[in-house]
Amino acid sequence: MQWIDNMLGFFGSGSNIMFLVFALLAIGGAVFMINFTKVVHMVISLAVTFISLAGIYILLQAEFVAVVQVLIYASAITILMIFGIVMTNHQEIEQPLARPLHQVLVVIGILAFFGIVFYSVQQAVFPDSTVEHAVNNTEKIGMQLFSQHVIPFELMSALLTVAFIGAIIIAKREEE
Amino acid sequence: MGELLTRPLTWGSFLTFFLMAVVLLLIILFMVTYAIYAERKILGYMQSRIGPNRTGKFGLLQTPADVLKLLIKEDVIPEKADRPLFKLAPVIAFVPSFVVLATIPYSEHMYFADLDIGVLYYVALSGLTVIGIVLGGWASNNKYALIGGMRSAAQLVSYAIPLVISAVGVVLMSGTMNLRGIVEGQAGWFWNWNFIPQILAFVVFVISAIAELNRTPFDLPEAESELVAGYHVEYSGFRFAFFMLTEYVYMIAMSALITTLFFGGWHAPAPFLEFIPGFIWFLLKFCGVFFFIIWLRGTMPRIRIDQLMSLGWRVLLPLSLGNIFVTAIVMEIVKAING
Repeated sequence: MQWIDNMLGFFGSGSNIMFLVFALLAIGGAVFMINFTKVVHMVISLAVTFISLAGIYILLQAEFVAVVQVLIYASAITILMIFGIVMTNHQEIEQPLARPLHQVLVVIGILAFFGIVFYSVQQAVFPDSTVEHAVNNTEKIGMQLFSQHVIPFELMSALLTVAFIGAIIIAKREEE
Repeated sequence: MGELLTRPLTWGSFLTFFLMAVVLLLIILFMVTYAIYAERKILGYMQSRIGPNRTGKFGLLQTPADVLKLLIKEDVIPEKADRPLFKLAPVIAFVPSFVVLATIPYSEHMYFADLDIGVLYYVALSGLTVIGIVLGGWASNNKYALIGGMRSAAQLVSYAIPLVISAVGVVLMSGTMNLRGIVEGQAGWFWNWNFIPQILAFVVFVISAIAELNRTPFDLPEAESELVAGYHVEYSGFRFAFFMLTEYVYMIAMSALITTLFFGGWHAPAPFLEFIPGFIWFLLKFCGVFFFIIWLRGTMPRIRIDQLMSLGWRVLLPLSLGNIFVTAIVMEIVKAING
């Protein structure tokens, strides 16, 4: 059986197992984010998704992107959202909707989708090619950013500064 | 240890890594126990007291006894608290504090990870602790805890910026973010250590580091006189122990990071002293930085929250930005002179 061989080959490597763990955590975080009823719980499960994505980037040897993912999404944006939620009042709890027919249809749809994807992935032939992993890719990103893409980079920083000053001005006006 | 990291991951190497991590965890727990003892003893002498001296010889068993007491205490969760988050918050706070230790090179051959982005890794992961602290404050459903958590988040976020930007000066001089590379760039006599050429960055970094650690004079999140105990006011037993553990592990990690970035890591202060192993030098410098942090606690009064914020944003941030400019200009001039 082709697919059993494929599966065994997949689980033979440590990084594939780690990929499976991270992927399940990422999807699980997203699913729980939709299913939780309290807003703070939702933010935490979203943070789980962010961190597992960083893990997947590490597996792809993109350490810089992974660390930036943790720095910006998992910590900064999550904390921003927690601040927003804690500062405003969100005591009410969403009532889950109960529609049994919908749930059955959704389960059937998911199973069919899984079957199609699984079948086509097993049938597909992926071209084998060896790509060398970039060593020290942080340095390479820096070189690219400050030589070839320096004008977009400067424009981005100008844009962010404008947004920053705009936010300060709006906050000042409300104070008065 | 270095070549193990470059090999593909097998079950054998996974087991080795796992065992090493467990050993490191045990060492860190031991160090934290005696760091607390050392802090109480030093503070005691600074205040003309003796400090702990009843349990065991010289009070050496005082902290193990305290830890044991915390572990067997009744586990109290307030009725109105958000139970799952209340339980999760100490874990979220603790895990990053231990994980950042992986990137620090303890000596030339003793390191757990050889990351090209060591500095960024430390900063990014230590930012995750803020989530645990804010959640702990929020889940307790107590206004003092909430205010403590909020203050802590504001403080940690605002001081992380000067911390990173002042470290950029060191990164510019070393040309790498790899902590091992940074240490190797400081070989030779002690005036090659970064704290002399980067004196401004060093001062900004130490001040921001102390603020990041929530230590006196910046220990506002847990100001006893106004907030009872800050974000962990509702915590007791081993959950409280976890928050304290986080704080002390960060203190250890930050002292090690300052040693690595500014005091030449495992290098001896003079080349003829190289016969003493690098680990001993690292430990000596580490203890010096650690003592300095405790010394500050015995000396400084606590500052107000508005003073804290204006110090961070109006003084430290411009200073650290200016340091980058000056460092870059001086480096270019030196390069031009040397051809």
